[in-house]
Amino acid sequence: MNIPTAAALGGSSRRRTSRRAALGEGMAATLAASRLLAPSLFVGCSMGVPPRAASVLVGLLNSQTGPLAIGSMSVRDIETHAVERFNAAGGLLGRQLSIRGPDTRSRSELFPRRADELIDAGAVALFGCWSSASRKAVLPVVEGRNALLFYPVQYEGNETSRNVVYGGQVPNQQVLPAIEWLAGDGGGSRRKVFLIGSDYVYPRTTNFLAKKWLAEKGMTIVGEEYFPLDHADFAPVVGRIVESGADSVLNTVNGEGNINLFAALSAAKVDAATVPMVSTSLSEDELRSVPRSQADGHFILSNYFQTIDTPANREWIEGFRDAFGRDRVFGDAMESAWILIHLWKMAVEKAGSFAVDAVRQAFADGLSFAGPGGPVSLDPATQHCTRYFRLGKVRGDRLCDVVLSSETPIIPDPYPQIAFPGWKCDWTRGGIERGPEVTIDG
Amino acid sequence: MSNDFSWVYEMHPWRLALLMVSLFVGFYWVGAIFIRPFLRLLVRRSPGLNDLIGYVLSCFCVFYGLLLGLIAVTAYQNYAEADQNVTREATALSALYEDVSRYPEPFGQDLRWLLRDYTRYVIKYSWPLQRQGIVPQEGTIRAEAFFDRLLDFQPKTPAEEILHAEALRQLNHFLECRRMRLFSVTNGLPASMWYVMFVGAAFNIVLCWMFDTRFMTQLVLGGILAAYLGMMMYLIIDMNQPFRGEVSITPDVFEVLYRRMDDE
Repeated sequence: MNIPTAAALGGSSRRRTSRRAALGEGMAATLAASRLLAPSLFVGCSMGVPPRAASVLVGLLNSQTGPLAIGSMSVRDIETHAVERFNAAGGLLGRQLSIRGPDTRSRSELFPRRADELIDAGAVALFGCWSSASRKAVLPVVEGRNALLFYPVQYEGNETSRNVVYGGQVPNQQVLPAIEWLAGDGGGSRRKVFLIGSDYVYPRTTNFLAKKWLAEKGMTIVGEEYFPLDHADFAPVVGRIVESGADSVLNTVNGEGNINLFAALSAAKVDAATVPMVSTSLSEDELRSVPRSQADGHFILSNYFQTIDTPANREWIEGFRDAFGRDRVFGDAMESAWILIHLWKMAVEKAGSFAVDAVRQAFADGLSFAGPGGPVSLDPATQHCTRYFRLGKVRGDRLCDVVLSSETPIIPDPYPQIAFPGWKCDWTRGGIERGPEVTIDG
Repeated sequence: MSNDFSWVYEMHPWRLALLMVSLFVGFYWVGAIFIRPFLRLLVRRSPGLNDLIGYVLSCFCVFYGLLLGLIAVTAYQNYAEADQNVTREATALSALYEDVSRYPEPFGQDLRWLLRDYTRYVIKYSWPLQRQGIVPQEGTIRAEAFFDRLLDFQPKTPAEEILHAEALRQLNHFLECRRMRLFSVTNGLPASMWYVMFVGAAFNIVLCWMFDTRFMTQLVLGGILAAYLGMMMYLIIDMNQPFRGEVSITPDVFEVLYRRMDDE
């Protein structure tokens, strides 16, 4: 029997698709579509691209609450600003930096715990600490775990560590030139000095040194008192300053205590022209918390003042204000922190590695950086920085006029021989050379 | 959706939509080719088969549709609630900023700086972490710093007392809103719901495979149904975590506030 074809019956001449053919065509089309779509479909998701290089963690050890927060929060901000700029410029060694900044609550015992946690989390460097007590508490952690701490605050010296880079002034860069100025014509030939400070290692060691220098200049110490960091009532001690007949005050009070000290001086109508107070642990940034006029005419020792009129300083100030607010005020610890984080960056780039030993090796030839307050070099012998000495006189707007400045940065001497005979440090030639033990009261 | 699938939030919305549609349609088609013949051995061809499957499918679709619809609404509500919490937090922050602007100096300036610092942190650091499904921690430190400084203030006049009490009340409201935002970072549908949804979608598809139709009809009609299921899944995934994915809550309100703080 002949079976008529569809065409012969007048039906459609189109070929019917067999199941096998449809299967084949469907599979081919699906595969082709998958191949075409896959690259764009999976771009940017973790299945389609190699994992991004992990960021590198930088640890910030700053107090954001408590009496030391007043200055250390600004340090945290400038460190954050530096890291944000590094990241915007492509990161460091091709990797972005991330920051972690736990609150150390102005409590020395919390600093080592937080440092430990940051190192555990993989921090390649630690920046911060404020008081010497906090730095000394962190020292065993960074030395025990071979980490690097970059410490931005002026301190008392009498310390060197392979695991710490010190960015602030030591007494031969700060207190010694100030004593010479006080004793000289420029400072009014002062003879009777009252020493007031917070009760911890920095004020006591600094005053231990100051007393030796004051004696050498023929000056008399008419009083010496120390108070806890959170001390608020300074009226009685101001009364004793007045009674002692002091013609100058060397102030090593740290943190918010300064606000209460200036209030007490102002209430007792102590005239800055008659009894000037020279403060070592105060900056324009912290002065913003002192009511206007209370600090007028008193003096601040620092390596940096916001009023330094140089293009580098103006540019730095503008850059930070663009990112953190137009009304921000600047202090020396902020400038030191900025310098330290840049020195670390230079060392990492030179070493081509984030490893502590490699970075430290990069310090060996010395590093220099043009900071907002002038050029700074890292002294490889002591891992301290060369710093300018500057004396600022507080004016009505709570900024300072620089009334005295060293011509060049002063080489740091953590162990002035007048107080620590026989002690030396040169990390490029064997490290610390110990002299007789020195006992500091308190 | 667990962190194992967090890569889906890194995808551009249309890519994610395309991926979901492709997965569902691909699954349908592959199943139609390889699994359907076995199903047809189990469910023998009979005159009323398609009607029977149709009844079962419509009954199933009512329940599944309801489930899917309710889940989509829940996901949208979560999203909208998180969005509202963000707006409330920014509004409370703004009111607090106004309050502390009236404090005597230097307190006023300190408190304003601390709030500005908080706002900056939220924009630059909290949000990127939230987008990864991580609850940011350091905002708490900033909020505590503000709280501590506010408590340092000792009012000296009745006006200052009223202002201080109002600032503390506003601070509590702000902290409450902030906590709500942080809670919603990890908000999402529980795993069991995802399982039910995907198993339900699979049942839907299996029922469609059972229809006795021409092969091309099966591919086209089933493909359309699968594509729509994929779209629904995309919608739920995209709204499931309000801070994740391309279509997510942005820090716009905080940015506006920060600009205003900075301009003052």
